[in-house]
Amino acid sequence: MTIRLEHLRKSFGPVQVLKDINLELPEREFITLVGPSGCGKTTLLRIIAGLETASSGTIYHGETRVSDLAPGKRDVAMVFQSYALYPHMNVFDNIAYGLKVRRTPKAEIEARVREVAGVLEIIPLLERKPKQLSGGQRQRVALGRAMVRKPWLFLMDEPLSNLDAKLRVTMRSELKRFHLRLETTTIYVTHDQLEAMTMSDKIAVMDGGEVQQYATPEEVYNRPANTFVAGFIGSPPMNFLPGAALADGELSLATGSGARTVIADSPLAGKASREILLGARPQDVRVHAAVADRTFAAEIVLVQLLGSEKLVELAYGSGAVLTAQVKADSPLKAGQKVWVGFDPDKLHLFDPDSGRNLALESPRLSDPA
Amino acid sequence: MSALEFVRKTLAYAFLLLVTFLMCFPLIWALSTSLKPARDVMATPPRLIPSEVTFANYRNLILGKEQYFRADQTYVPTTAAPQHFTTWFANSVIVSAGSTLISIVISTLAAYSITRFRYWGRRIIPYFSLLGYMIPSIILVFPMFMVMSGLALTNSLWSLTFGYVSITLPFCMWLLWAFFRGIPIELEEAALMDGASRLRVFVDIVLPSALPGIIAAAIFSLIVSWNDFLFARVFINSIENLPLTVGVMHFFEGVHVDWGLMMASAVLMTLPMAVLFMLMQRHLVAGFGAGAVKG
Repeated sequence: MTIRLEHLRKSFGPVQVLKDINLELPEREFITLVGPSGCGKTTLLRIIAGLETASSGTIYHGETRVSDLAPGKRDVAMVFQSYALYPHMNVFDNIAYGLKVRRTPKAEIEARVREVAGVLEIIPLLERKPKQLSGGQRQRVALGRAMVRKPWLFLMDEPLSNLDAKLRVTMRSELKRFHLRLETTTIYVTHDQLEAMTMSDKIAVMDGGEVQQYATPEEVYNRPANTFVAGFIGSPPMNFLPGAALADGELSLATGSGARTVIADSPLAGKASREILLGARPQDVRVHAAVADRTFAAEIVLVQLLGSEKLVELAYGSGAVLTAQVKADSPLKAGQKVWVGFDPDKLHLFDPDSGRNLALESPRLSDPA
Repeated sequence: MSALEFVRKTLAYAFLLLVTFLMCFPLIWALSTSLKPARDVMATPPRLIPSEVTFANYRNLILGKEQYFRADQTYVPTTAAPQHFTTWFANSVIVSAGSTLISIVISTLAAYSITRFRYWGRRIIPYFSLLGYMIPSIILVFPMFMVMSGLALTNSLWSLTFGYVSITLPFCMWLLWAFFRGIPIELEEAALMDGASRLRVFVDIVLPSALPGIIAAAIFSLIVSWNDFLFARVFINSIENLPLTVGVMHFFEGVHVDWGLMMASAVLMTLPMAVLFMLMQRHLVAGFGAGAVKG
């Protein structure tokens, strides 16, 4: 059954944390709420859990209204950022607690805890106390505690943020594997766009208490709804180049002292001239050693080696900068004069005032009808 | 270990030993006196090691035999005969345990409420309660006597129980408030998500997590009520309702003081608290530590 959030609002005193959230979360999917700190994602998760009450709005599970139920009656399980393992209970009792509270027969508790512990590979740890466990092990116990009850919904509040970088990558794929295996609807909160991209079926990008875009990872990455989403998703972040304009079916960019360079054919249908805020991901910026068609001159300010790639910081025109990502074996050096162009199919055009993606308002020429 | 380090360590330990001995000397002297035969008690020069070890003082305190006074011609029979000792001891136990139980139950619930529920005044209550603790007992005792008298509770163990609760409850609440604040709220939320009721969460999750703090508060409360002299002196006037602290004073009898009985009483009075302390020391340190850091 799908979960529907209708007109959810939440204020803490005068501060409005959530402004009219409407989302439909399909059954069995892995949905991520992602956004910067203070965007309201955790509050939204806690409202779905029942730990906070919405100021107004309704939560439906299928056709059932669940927004007035106590957390324990919603039959959802939550994995906390701090894991929140009961410190005085051993791993077995931690996992079994939810079943004990529900008066599950002892034999069944035993069987189900062992089953979950088997899946999570923590059977040897069952007798230990939480403080005797490593971060990764605690994480598994917290997962086990959620999984053992076979709830219809998992809520996860930044469950990986307390792990070191390497373990985080391992646990990320492991979480995804568990989800594929259990097929329980999961709502996952993170501020890490990479986690959101890699794990989710759908992403809700949040900012300022509002959902900025709710779509698949591909959609969010390739067709960001607005400049916020475009800047938040993707690493290194997208370049935003002011001073672009559409005229006569061509896209041009101001490249210093009144000069304009045509950089691409207009990706939008229609011939209307207008000002544009141009977005280009560093991966889609092309750096040429010699002058080429539809390029403009720039100077390399800084080169950073990331390992398999280099980030090249470029200055052009009168003080404008942009970042390009090139292969690590590229011979580019700081101080070098180069010519910069773009992959014309990958450019993002935004309204300079509203920040909205213009391609979502009028279809791209390259899109299939 | 170098020679210098050896000397330094030896000196350090010698110094520590000396300080320990000085600190413990009153206790050692009490123990020694309680085990001495009567002739040794006032011997000159004073002797720390009794010439002969006798348990007569303890026997007489516990069995409360008045014959002891008749048989030993050097003593005068007294009205405050040692036969009351076991009653006083029982009174002390009842009053301390009773007031501690009441203090802990109320302060635990109160502290939890202050940390977890939002209502008017919850921020100032803990500080306010500490303020009450700062007022010297001597100022409180007479108004409280009037109250007890109004309630017709004077000269009863209830007056002491309630009197001690009024001293220990605010402090216990403050201590536990600091302690509860250190318990992550996620633990309770996790239990709520697991389907537990508020009460169940409190019993299953909060109480075990707060146990070191509760033990620390309980020990504090026990010590205050066990050692109290003032309230007992003012509230109680019949000999069989006295706790140990005031009761033992009856061994001063005019010009005559039975030091042997006094010291045996002192040892027996110290013993329960000392044993309790040793058993609970680990929790006590954890409790005060947590309160201090997070409070």
